[in-house]
Amino acid sequence: MKKFLIKIVFFLIPLLLLMVLADFYITKKLKNNHEYPGEIEVWNDIYKSNINTDIAIYGSSRAWVHIDPKILEDSLNMKAYNFGIDGHNFWLQYLRHKEYLEYNKQPKLIIMSVDVFSLAKRQDLYELNQFLPYMLWNENIINATSSYKGFTFQDYYFPLFRYYGKIRGSNSILKLTSNENPEKAYRNNGFRGMERNWNNDLAKAKLNLNEYAIDVDSSSVNLFQQFLLECKSNQITVILVYTPEYIEGQNFVTNKEKVINIYNDFSKKHNVLFLDYSNDEISQERDFFYNASHLNKKGSELFTRNLSQYIKALANKNKDR
Amino acid sequence: MLFNSIDFAIFLPIVFLLYWFVVNKNLRLQNCLIVLASYVFYGWWDWRFLSLIFFSTIIDYSIGIGLSNEKNPSKRKILLWISVLVNLGFLGFFKYYNFFLDNFISAFSFFGTEINANSLNIILPVGISFYTFQTLSYTIDVYKQKLNPTKDFIAFSAFVSFFPQLVAGPIERASNLLPQFYRKRNFDYSKAVDGMRQILWGLFKKIVIADNCAEYADIIFNNSSEYSGSTLVLGALFFTFQIYGDFSGYSDIAIGTSRLFGFDLKQNFNFPYFSRDIAEFWRRWHISLSTWFRDYLYIPLGGSRGGTWNKIRNVFIIFLVSGFWHGANWTFIFWGALNALYFLPVFITNNNRNNLNTVAQGKYLPSIKELLLMFLTFGLTVFAWIFFRANNINHAFNYISDIFSSSLFTFPIYENDDFVKPLFILIFIFLVIEWLGREQQYALAQMELKWRKPFRYLLYYTIIISIFWFGGKQEQFIYFQF
Repeated sequence: MKKFLIKIVFFLIPLLLLMVLADFYITKKLKNNHEYPGEIEVWNDIYKSNINTDIAIYGSSRAWVHIDPKILEDSLNMKAYNFGIDGHNFWLQYLRHKEYLEYNKQPKLIIMSVDVFSLAKRQDLYELNQFLPYMLWNENIINATSSYKGFTFQDYYFPLFRYYGKIRGSNSILKLTSNENPEKAYRNNGFRGMERNWNNDLAKAKLNLNEYAIDVDSSSVNLFQQFLLECKSNQITVILVYTPEYIEGQNFVTNKEKVINIYNDFSKKHNVLFLDYSNDEISQERDFFYNASHLNKKGSELFTRNLSQYIKALANKNKDR
Repeated sequence: MLFNSIDFAIFLPIVFLLYWFVVNKNLRLQNCLIVLASYVFYGWWDWRFLSLIFFSTIIDYSIGIGLSNEKNPSKRKILLWISVLVNLGFLGFFKYYNFFLDNFISAFSFFGTEINANSLNIILPVGISFYTFQTLSYTIDVYKQKLNPTKDFIAFSAFVSFFPQLVAGPIERASNLLPQFYRKRNFDYSKAVDGMRQILWGLFKKIVIADNCAEYADIIFNNSSEYSGSTLVLGALFFTFQIYGDFSGYSDIAIGTSRLFGFDLKQNFNFPYFSRDIAEFWRRWHISLSTWFRDYLYIPLGGSRGGTWNKIRNVFIIFLVSGFWHGANWTFIFWGALNALYFLPVFITNNNRNNLNTVAQGKYLPSIKELLLMFLTFGLTVFAWIFFRANNINHAFNYISDIFSSSLFTFPIYENDDFVKPLFILIFIFLVIEWLGREQQYALAQMELKWRKPFRYLLYYTIIISIFWFGGKQEQFIYFQF
């Protein structure tokens, strides 16, 4: 028996070493990924501690493609970075914030992009591969992602396990690393202006979608309040921004007003500014969008200029006081 | 709990260490641990159905005792029938209730009478067909006085619920497995190492061969009307290797796991795809089920005695019941009937026992004749698997008619094609290893005698890496649904 157990242990040691080495190799390759939607670039910047921004922009894809940090930088003379995470609600937007604070200096201003989906919570881990290179033994990622369908205990704590079933075939994660031009970044300071024309997503939605109500997730509401309290205690100014949304696409959600009221309540309760651009002039003009929820490059530039002017005016006003 | 899950990878060493280090001095405690571990193993899937196993255990244990005390033949027969009815009653309710109901409704509707009856939303308890047959064999053997009934309830519970083979076999006979629970088990180093090796080979078959073939077989079978005849042939081939890798892989893991605990289970697969005729195939495929039907159905029906018509009838009965055992669907019944049709010519002409030895015994390569016979048998088997895999009987016939179209002679086209070529290579390597090891219990058995240590270890590591590298979705074992 003793001999058997010793042999098993000696058999497993090289295997464990091999697992660690393979994990290191795949992780390193995966971190070089620069393909759509460029989430890994943002995570890399966070963990390399090379952002240290003054203005942090948080939110979903509607933050990512709507708010150009370069325009903010030029206008406000402050460093800006866009942390928008595609397809995710506040739960994982908050993870970006937590991880950013852990590895970088805290920002002075947070522009928090909110919308009807921010306080809902999806079941699946959209674009799950983005977490793979950073999640091993990472308590923040474990806490933020374990309530989703996606990873299991062994994925979080054992080397290589999280890559199991993701290596061979057409969906291989190793293919993500075969970018012809690996040095070319997909996002710029976390932002990408979408040079796209209006597509038929809205027309399709009109045909296939009925009206629906957003299921506001109470844990997300609590987390959002916690986030606002934390920012307040750290003296970080937060501005909630409902970025433009094409007017014809706003009729699907039946309880939009209720969600907006939650943001209004946050604004009053925590003394933060809430800017609602959902009925702004930009929202009336289809030329600024590529679908009902997303501005194209032209729209995002115009919107960011408007936003930066507003913030600048506000800052000047505060100075005068 | 699935053998190919992390849960089992944690569960097995815990039970192993408790078994050999904590309760090793007391046989009864070892058996208790096996029962407890088996119930945890089964309850991991759905604890509610543990009551079924427990009830089945109590019934057959009590009836076994009753049969030993009872001398009156008619009362003994009543006791036997109670066991048969209770066990088959559970099986019939959980597995066949909706099938019979739906078919009765259809039959009455055909004759113009409409019946309103709702089918029930019944969950099929995993492995019910396996443990039902195992306990039934005990009662029948006790009734026929081939076996002394046990008075050790714990040993009997362990025999019924023994976790390595509880949910998908091999279906063990009480005469083989039960006495092993009475004997003191001593740790046997070479047996344990051999068990580990067999587990590894079983995992390779399941994860690398079966799960990857499943992905393509599913795509092709589920969208069969969109594919050419040649692609459909490929789909049938993928399923052929899927079902073999899946089921024989499970059996290898079950046998290997049992060996770690000092038990010897029966060989369940003996390289069936190297058979030279269909009779040989059925001596090598799912051996524990085939021999069960032979001993408890075929022989009581008269077996090969009597006139030709009796023989034909018995062959058809055994294949149809075997098909129906697999599931409540006409596809399985057709599959059974087709195999009966394959089997009859060799049986009636008394050629069913021509190939009792291993093909090309002691040689590296088969003769041309053997090769042709193997191809023919394999081809017939692949064709029959279409019925087994099809969603329903119409799907099976449409699939077959789509094969025999002009597109049969075109180049196969399939989606996700970047892994198909590596998969062919993997299947080829798998077949070569199986061929080289075909005279053994499983392909890698006796490696210790034939291979030097560095090469052995290289192969083990290669298998483990390939399991990780080529591992696909974690698929459930096909035979769980039976």
